[in-house]
Amino acid sequence: MAERLGMVIDMKACIACASCAVACKVENNLPDEVWWNRVLTDGGENPDTPAGVYPDLTMSNLVVACQHCENPACVKVCPVGATYKDSETGVVRQDYDKCIGCRMCMSACPYTGVRSFNWEEPRHVVGHALGDADVPAHQKHVVEKCTMCWHRLAKGLQPACVEVCPARVRYFGDLNDPDSEVSQLIRERECKQLLPSEGTNPSVYYLV
Amino acid sequence: MSDTNKASVAKFGGRGLNIAIVVAAAVTVAGLALWGVQLSGGLVQTGMRNLDSWGLYITMFMFLVGLSAGGLIISSVPRAFGMKGFGGISKIAVWTSVCCTVLAVGFVVVDLGQPLRLWELFAYSNLGSPLMWDIAVISIYLILSIVYLWATLRAETGKVSGKALRVISVIALITAVLVHSVTAWIFGLQQAHEFWHTALLAPWFVSSALVCGTALVLVVVIALRKVGYLRLDQAHVVKLAKMLGAFVTVDLYFFGCDLLTSGFPGGSGAEVVSMLVSGPLAPFFWVEVVGCVLCAVVCFVPKLRTNPLVVVASLLAIIGIFCKRVQLLVGGFQLPNLDYPGLVNRYTVTDWASGMAGAYQGMVYWPTPLEFGVALGVIGLGALLLLLGLKFLPLRPVDQVRR
Repeated sequence: MAERLGMVIDMKACIACASCAVACKVENNLPDEVWWNRVLTDGGENPDTPAGVYPDLTMSNLVVACQHCENPACVKVCPVGATYKDSETGVVRQDYDKCIGCRMCMSACPYTGVRSFNWEEPRHVVGHALGDADVPAHQKHVVEKCTMCWHRLAKGLQPACVEVCPARVRYFGDLNDPDSEVSQLIRERECKQLLPSEGTNPSVYYLV
Repeated sequence: MSDTNKASVAKFGGRGLNIAIVVAAAVTVAGLALWGVQLSGGLVQTGMRNLDSWGLYITMFMFLVGLSAGGLIISSVPRAFGMKGFGGISKIAVWTSVCCTVLAVGFVVVDLGQPLRLWELFAYSNLGSPLMWDIAVISIYLILSIVYLWATLRAETGKVSGKALRVISVIALITAVLVHSVTAWIFGLQQAHEFWHTALLAPWFVSSALVCGTALVLVVVIALRKVGYLRLDQAHVVKLAKMLGAFVTVDLYFFGCDLLTSGFPGGSGAEVVSMLVSGPLAPFFWVEVVGCVLCAVVCFVPKLRTNPLVVVASLLAIIGIFCKRVQLLVGGFQLPNLDYPGLVNRYTVTDWASGMAGAYQGMVYWPTPLEFGVALGVIGLGALLLLLGLKFLPLRPVDQVRR
């Protein structure tokens, strides 16, 4: 059976430090204003604020990037096949050279905000490129998103967000292998996928 | 037909038309220049952002695909079913269809980030994409409209048989219905947007297309009669107005069905209803509903069916359907699936400075002046085509040609 690479994120242990978001940004040489991986707050109106009135306050977090769905809505609607699911790994990929910039995939994806469009010529605040040299160049007027660090997978490495997480809440592996760490965690712990009613079957699971 | 009317028929096409053509051409050129600005400086100059990734251009695309319906349907339905037509206006009606279709395609092109990669649509077609279906059907529709116009002209000189023309009109009619359905499916097949994801969307697009298409034909023929391009018996105007009344009622009925089905179970569907009825999109909702009701009243009450009022009713219907397109497009983005606050910056959402909550207070998207300018340029191109057609193509009713 082909692989289905996925991630399990333990939201009970996540400290919402955003190291994964920053590691992603640096590793992938993301242009200014572009974030493939974000920390969201489930609580008040602003980030890092709780809901409710003291002392009855609640707050939790969610880290969201492309969910690498088994049944991806984006792949179906792309008119030129610029976004596609890799048959070997199940990773949902994006071909910058093919993308015509119609933004159909952004509209079709139920996971608000995981796709980013380069609304202008990509710029870098430091004035030079960062991260891995094997990351493809960013292009103006195309859609991009999390690649599951495709360039690292090719070298047998884990995605940057998994490696950098100081609380070690991210687990990476093959969901189709019943003996993998991720499969065991999903079996043994209580977990959820985002927006299951959309029928996309994400390859990212959250332990709750 | 009065004598003054006959005299003015002969007069049409003088200096006024030439000035209009020059103005339309100038607007088109200005639009092209602004499109250049948009491409070089980037789409960041528009109001579109990651969370509201489509805007005025796609709204106009939906609207113009709808507008293009009327002409073709009005001229092909009587012929396809062997009924009495509308007094020779079919050629001018089909020409408005052709112009609107070209405009619709134009709006998709200015929306694209990489228009130079358009050729990929044919090289790497993903036939599973509703956008690809739409590109295919619109191309066929445009070609068929032109073939149909050509066949009508040839039939008048006896070069094409009535039977062949009838076959073409049936095919054109089916394609017209398909075009609106497929355009609806671009939106309606996306489960990600509660507001769009309904089986009603395709028939609803067809009914809206009939409303604004018929209204456009009414406005155009009454205007052309006024300036003396053609003569038209008032009975045909009345017949068209009654049809408009019927279409507008069906469209409102569909809207009612949709609101009830969304709102009745409560939950997220009720959010859609309140967004339209009393939320950020309420102005567009009420202009549509009130405009369409007034239009139906004018069309159904014989005493009110005077020329000026029929034109007003038609314009109300066109404005109403435009408002519906705005509701559909912006409304689709107004209710995000993941609305948790997080990092928000210049690329996230149109009004990003006040955070996620602030961005969704009013309408989540509003166009920038540049978008209005480019849109005006595209409309200029349509007007240019329409006027050139009036000047150079033999579109007048065959018994009224005075050249």
